[in-house]
Parts: sequence; C-alpha cells; structure tokens
Amino acid sequence: MKKAVVFGIKRFATHDGDGVRTTVFFKGCPLRCIWCHNPEGISREPQLAFYAHRCVGCAACAGVCKNGAQRFEEGSHRFERALCVGCGACASVCPSGALRLFGHEADADELLELLLEDRDFYEASGGGVTLSGGECLLQADFCAGLLRRLKQNGINTAVDTCGFVPREAFDKVIPYTDVFLYDIKAVDSDVHRRCTGQDCRIILDNLLYLDKKGLRTEIRIPLVPGYNDGQLEKIRDFLSGLKHVSGVKVLPYHDNARSKYNALGMADTLPQKLPDKTGR
Amino acid sequence: MQKEFCSVRSRLEEQFRNTEWIAESGLATEDIEAAVTELEREPLSRKTIKAKTFELIAQKARIAVDRCDIFQDKLQGAGIMQRQRARWEREVKREYLSKETAETSRAWSEAGAYFCGPDYGHTSPNTRLMLSVGLPGLLDRVEAASKRSGLSGEQRDYYAACRTALTAVMTAAERLADAVEPFNAASSAALRNIACRRPENIYEALQLIVLYYFLHDFVAGTRIRTLGRLDVLLEPFYRRDIENGTFNREEVREMLRFFLYKFWSADVVAGLPFTLGGGDGHGGDVTSEISYLIVETYNELNIYSPKIQIRISEKTPEKFIRLVLSCIRGGNSGFVFMNDSTAVKGLVGVGVAESDAWDYVPVGCYEPAVWGKELGCTASNGGVSLPKAVELVFTNGRNKKSGELCGVETGEIGSYEEFVAAVKKQIAYMTEKATDYVVRIERHYREINPDPLLSCQYTRSVETGVDVYEGGAEYNNSSMCFFSIASLTDAVCAVRRLVFEEKCLSFGELGDILKNNWEGHEEERRAALRLPEKYGCGNSQADAVAAEFADFCASLVNDLPNGRGGVFKAALFTIDFCFHTGERTMATPDGRLEGEPLSKNLCAVTGMDREGVTALIRSAAAIDASQFPDGSVLDVVLHPSAVSGEEGLAAFRALLAVYFKLGGLAVHGNVFDAEDLKKAQREPEKYRNLQVRVCGWNAYFIDLSRTEQDAFIRQAENAV
Repeated sequence: MKKAVVFGIKRFATHDGDGVRTTVFFKGCPLRCIWCHNPEGISREPQLAFYAHRCVGCAACAGVCKNGAQRFEEGSHRFERALCVGCGACASVCPSGALRLFGHEADADELLELLLEDRDFYEASGGGVTLSGGECLLQADFCAGLLRRLKQNGINTAVDTCGFVPREAFDKVIPYTDVFLYDIKAVDSDVHRRCTGQDCRIILDNLLYLDKKGLRTEIRIPLVPGYNDGQLEKIRDFLSGLKHVSGVKVLPYHDNARSKYNALGMADTLPQKLPDKTGR
Repeated sequence: MQKEFCSVRSRLEEQFRNTEWIAESGLATEDIEAAVTELEREPLSRKTIKAKTFELIAQKARIAVDRCDIFQDKLQGAGIMQRQRARWEREVKREYLSKETAETSRAWSEAGAYFCGPDYGHTSPNTRLMLSVGLPGLLDRVEAASKRSGLSGEQRDYYAACRTALTAVMTAAERLADAVEPFNAASSAALRNIACRRPENIYEALQLIVLYYFLHDFVAGTRIRTLGRLDVLLEPFYRRDIENGTFNREEVREMLRFFLYKFWSADVVAGLPFTLGGGDGHGGDVTSEISYLIVETYNELNIYSPKIQIRISEKTPEKFIRLVLSCIRGGNSGFVFMNDSTAVKGLVGVGVAESDAWDYVPVGCYEPAVWGKELGCTASNGGVSLPKAVELVFTNGRNKKSGELCGVETGEIGSYEEFVAAVKKQIAYMTEKATDYVVRIERHYREINPDPLLSCQYTRSVETGVDVYEGGAEYNNSSMCFFSIASLTDAVCAVRRLVFEEKCLSFGELGDILKNNWEGHEEERRAALRLPEKYGCGNSQADAVAAEFADFCASLVNDLPNGRGGVFKAALFTIDFCFHTGERTMATPDGRLEGEPLSKNLCAVTGMDREGVTALIRSAAAIDASQFPDGSVLDVVLHPSAVSGEEGLAAFRALLAVYFKLGGLAVHGNVFDAEDLKKAQREPEKYRNLQVRVCGWNAYFIDLSRTEQDAFIRQAENAV
C-alpha cells in the first residue's frame, strides 16, 4: 500500500500522546458520532469546504472550475456542491482561504520524509508520530507500512483509534505501535448506538485484546452532557479490569465545530453546548 | 522592612510622574542650568566640564525622598546633561560631519535604506566591581592609578574627573540619607553606609544599584542598558544574609518587590534589562535560589519592565527554565532566552577572550557584550534594510521617486547568478555608507560624551587613564544590523522562479510591475505569494538563500575596524524598523505590496510560515547565528492552548531546546492574547498559521466561524 487518503497533517501536536508530535489525519470513519468534531474525516472521499465569511469575491475559483460548481451571481458567490468533483483546483487559487480541499492522496515515501523532518523535536521531548483520523485503521495496511518504517527510524509511534475496526487491523499495526490512544464513548450498547450509530462490543473487545497482549493504551472519553455523561462510572469499572492503561483523559464537550459542518454542507448533528457553570 | 509593598504599590507607581521635590533642598533646574552655562565657558576639557556638571547637580539640585519607599534615588535635573551632550554633538557634527550627516539622514528618511548614527548607550557597567569594593573602593583605585609618575595632562584630567564624579555620587547619597532620616531610619542608614564603605547586606546592595542607576542614567545621561547578571550580583549577599539571619527569604522577597517596581514605575524606554542564569565559565551554571526568587517576584508583580534575559547553558536547571516558560505561558512574555554556547562562539569570533565571553550580558535586547569590560555601543549604530537592495537592483540604483542615484548602477540582469551578485553589491554599498559614517562620528566621542563615572568602573580605563568613550575599555566594539532577512529571501526566490526558471516574466517586466505596485497584475501577485520557496517553511531552497545572504552580510561587517579602537559586530534583528522601512520600500517580487511591513527579526514574512513553528525553527537554524555576534532573535508565536498543561510546557521547552541545539542565539516566546486574536479576525490572511486548541484537538483560528472566534476571544480575555 503506497497511498492513503489523508485530510491533514498537524505538526507540533502537543496533546496527541507523549511530547511534541506530528499527527496524520486519515480520512474515513466507521462511526457517526453525533458530536463529531472532525466531520471532514468521516467520508473517505475528498471534500471541498467553503467558508463563505472569508470569500473576498475575486471569482478566481470560477475561472478554474471545469464543472461550473463555483458561480458568481450579482457579486455573490454560490457553490454548487452537487457539481463539485473534489479536484481542489479552486482551493489552490483561492487567495483568502475561503475554499479548502479536505482529503488528498498521500504517498508513503513522501509522508515518511515529511514526518522525519521534525525528528529533532521528537527527540528533545520524547515525542513522535501519531496516526489519527477519521479512523486511521480503516487504512491499516498503509498504516502498518508507515509505522514499520517510522520504527526503523527510531521514531515513537501512537495510533489514535475509535476501536471499531476488525481485529486484523490491530494485528497489522501492533508490532510497530508504542501506544494506542483509545476512545471510549460508552459501555452500554444502546447508549453507544444512540451516540455513534454502532454497537460498542467490538470496541471493548478490541481494547481487552490489546490489554491482554500487554500493549500500552491511553483512554480518551469525550464527555457529552445529555448523551454519555451517565456512562462515566461504568466506563471506570470497565477500565479497572485493565492492566496496561497508562492514562485516562476526559475531554469536555464544546460545540466549536459547527462552522466545519456548514462549510462542508453537512447536516449539523452537534448537540447544543450547555451553558457552563460560571454563566459566561 | 517597615513598609508593606502591597499597601503602597499604587503610590509607588506614580513616583516618577508626580515627584514631590523638596523646594528648600536645593536649586531649581533653571538655576543649575545657568551655572552649567557658566561652567562651559571655562577653558576646561570636556571630561572635566562633564564631571563638574554632575557634581553641581549632585551637590545643589533639589532632591526628593519617598516615605513609602525603601529605596531613595531622586535628584532633580534629569535632562541637563542630556542637553549638554546634544549641544556637543551638534558642534561636532557641524564642524566635522555636516556633509555626511545631511546625506545619510536624507538617504535614510527618503529611501528607508539604511540608518547610522552615534550610540552612547548600550553600556554594561561593571556593577559587580562596584558592589564588591563599594564607591570608596572605586575611588581608591582611581587615586592609586593617578599617583603614577609621568602622566600626561589628559590623564591627570581624566583621574580628576573620575574623582569628582565618584565623590559626587557619595554626596548625593548623603543628602538623600539626611532627608529620609526622619521617616525611615533604615533607609537613611543604608544610604550613609554605601557612601562610606562597600555594601554589607542585600538591602544596601540593592540601594546602591538603584542609586547608581538613576544618578548615572537619569541624571548623568548615559543609557545604562543592563543591570548586569543580577543573580550573580545578589547571590553572595543573599547567602550571607540568610546564614547570618540578617534577613529571611520573605524579607528579601519584599525588598525585591520594591526594587523591581522602582524600574517598572520609571518607565524606562524599551524596558531596562537584567540577566539571570547561564554558564559561569568553568562548566557550571550561576542559577541559584535568588534567581528563582527574582523570577517569582517578577511574575507575581505582573510587570514587563524591567525585562529579563535568561541565559541558558548546558547546566541551567530544567526547573528554572520551566519556571520561566510557565510565566511566558501565563501571559508574561517579558523574557528572552539566550543560548550561551552561540553567544560565546560569536564573541570569540570577533576577538573576545573566551573567559571574558562567558561573562557576557545582553545589552538592551539580545546583543551580547562582555559585562563591565566591553563598551558595546550597539544596536543603534546602524542598520541596513536588505529588501532595499532588491529594489535598487530593479531601479538600477536609483530612488524610485526622485530618480537620484542612491545605490550602485547594477544595470541589466541576465541570469539568476547576476541577480544575486547585483543584490550583494547593493547591500555592500549601503553597509559601507553606514559603517563609514559610524567610524567618522565615533572618532569624536571624546568631544561629545566622555564619561568619568562609567570609566572608573572599567579596570583597563582606570589603569591607562583613557576614557571609555575614547577606547579605554577592554573591548570597544560597535554594531551593524541587517534587517528583514526573510523578506529578502522570499524576494530573491521569487525572482529565481518567475524570471529565471519558469520565465513567465522578464527581468524588465517584473521591474515595471513592481514599480507600478502590481497594478493590473493581481494574478501574478497571488502566484508569487503562493510560491513554495518561502523562508520559514523549512524549504531547503529558500533556507539556503537565507543562509547565503546571512553569511555575506556577516562577512561585510565582522572585524571591520570602528572609530574607537574596536571592531564592528554584525547583528540580524529588526527591532521595529520593519514598519518604517516597509513604508519606504516599493513592491517586492514575493508578492508584497508597496508600503507593507517587511519581515521582523528572524521571523518569516507575516503569514508565510505556513508549516508551523517547527518548520520556522528549522529555517531559522539554517542561518549560522554565531556569525552575528551582536545578536539575532526568533519570535515564536504560540496559542495558550498549544502549550497548556504539563505536556504543553514540555513541548514549549522542546522548541527552545531544539533551536538552541541547532545553534540559535535567542528566542522570544509569544503566547497570543485576546488582542492578537482580534487582529487575526480582522486580517485572517496574516494569521493563517495561528493554531488554537479547541478541546482535544487543534484547529486553525481562521477556520472557525465568527461566533466561535468570538468565544475564543472572550476566553482569552477571561484568562487569568
């Protein structure tokens, strides 16, 4: 596997595992979490985002679009998503960043080279590379190849996963992964199904499997009031049976991703953020 | 201590704005000034007049004491000696430099090409010597040296002037002691003690530092650009006082509050620096308990002046570095980190003995100079705006507006190599003009700014009887700065691509487009902005161009003799001239419009460091900072969320560690606040790389909707 679909590379990621890291975001996700903050990572296909508030009306995009998806009528910019094929030509000429293509094919060699550029920073901080998403393990063969080469170069590796992937996907990356950043949203199937559209059995089984094999995991729990906040104690009970969990992080919910849904023309499923206790 | 700092803080804040001078304590400033005019008519040497002027003020000017304060320092008459120097400077310029002065100042203001001038500031007095031997000790050394046989008339003048100046400081201390006695016996006693012997505890030491600073800088008019290595100065006193039970830690902390607040309320231009931490020259580090105490107190006061330079050696405790980083992260960015190994290497490269180099202090911002041994009149000596060289190649050396020749005629350009050579020719020409002017005026420093009070702290000056401004210091170096290396790099890379590789424009066509400020060529301008070869992205081609020009600039300046028996030292920072020069520089090939600011320090052109802070550091590290012994600095901009928590602090530390490991000299850490976010909202194209931590992930600030941005701004405003 020489190519993968990724939608972002984040250097100087300081909260995606140990030390300073570079995080690669793979496109495509098996879950449909209603609070998803990376909606651009759900579909495997390239997607054009249109941030209307940043458009300066230069119409450069209309000049390069071969499908007539970018239209200017009476000075107002209309993006016809149905006509867009996701080629990204418009985004590459947009001067204000109003158009941005999420998703491109990444070549393994080029990606490796890029990831090694910040090696000094990894070494100085005990950091490394994190594969995230979407769900990176939907592209497990590519991930395994990349992780193997990172390990050959002495780089610390982390895999950030929702866990809802076949066991074989884990088997492929286990030999080259130092830590799994593992999301747990609920341990009750009905709650999990309501929040993500899927059962949690596979996720919990996979976590038990990793633990049994002695692999280090760091658990992340996105806490969404009104959805899974009743699950915390049960999650704690479940985790108490595990031996190799090196940390548990509860991530408080914010509804700051709304603009992305809007820009991507996706139905916004985000719950309202409850007013915080300070009343601000 | 009698006074509680927190109860008098607001009053102390006003101490320099609403000073209550004691009318009956002395003469009004007009009367002093009249006496000075009389004095200047006498057939005396300038150094003698200077010493006597200071003596006159010290003996006769009005004083003020503050009942709320524990340190006294106020002698009316600030401005008298500054005006005296200005008169002497005008005389010298009129007599020797009129033509050059006119030419250089016009060239500078009209073209924004370079500037040059005298710099009497950026001094680093030998406070360590003063604290260890006291004022009487300094006087003894002067007396001993003056008793040698065979002294010339000038030397005798010199020693007499030093004696007069030192005695005047003692007189001022005694006058203040008398005045404060009824209100604060401890303060009065400390002042009396430092007038007649060396300081014996930390309170007396701090009082001497304060008194000396304000008498020399505010009254005698020499800009003291650093208090020196403050922890080195105070550590012996602190240790002894704690051991003897003279003061406890909390009492010292309280003194430091008054001490630091003194300089904060004095509102010193650009902030008064001091240095903490760093190598001791014998493989160890000087960081001690007092270093922590100073940083903690500083942070608690929430002030940004004085400003603190943190020297980092291989042995600087991690705990100390993290304490400072956490202050910066908390919004107090009044710190700069200095890399000892690069600073020392740079100074050794221009002839400083290694043992002396280890005792450097940054004078001003980040310009290393040997503490108490170097009169490094730096930073304001001169600077050359590098992007101007590109403009001059396109205008064939002419001022775009007036058509008059202000550079070199480099003619038609047929290849990239010719282009680079032509840019270098223009840089060399501007540098020569600027350094030549500095040399000319420096030869007359003795007539403009002799300084007996400073001279008597320099061992070599006292031994030889030569004023420090005449070359009496151990090192007498000057500086020449190069501005906006990133703008130059991007411009050169754009020319290579557009004219000589893709050949979409001829050299002449591009020149015409630039002269017309890209008008009618918006598409080409956008293409130029989007080019991948930009400094600050870790792009190897761009970084190689930056390194090549940096090497070239350094070679023009380093070791070039100045006018005071020293050499020039190259510097690569911009201060805030990038706005001034930007306003006067026509459009540049990288897509910049006429008038827009040029790049700052070692930063990328605003918005061009698209790959984030790690790539910016890789680019900056491609430049050999040790070739810029007078300093360079990288501004690192981070959002609070990127450095939050223990892991964020560790990441912050890693940035610093890597830049220094790769040979960088100095780093500022900027953690953005609400104001900056508001600017990002107004001009998103310039803040493309500002990342924010939304929750468990990062996003680009400008990708957020208006409402979300507002939420972040509010968060930032509420941040403690």
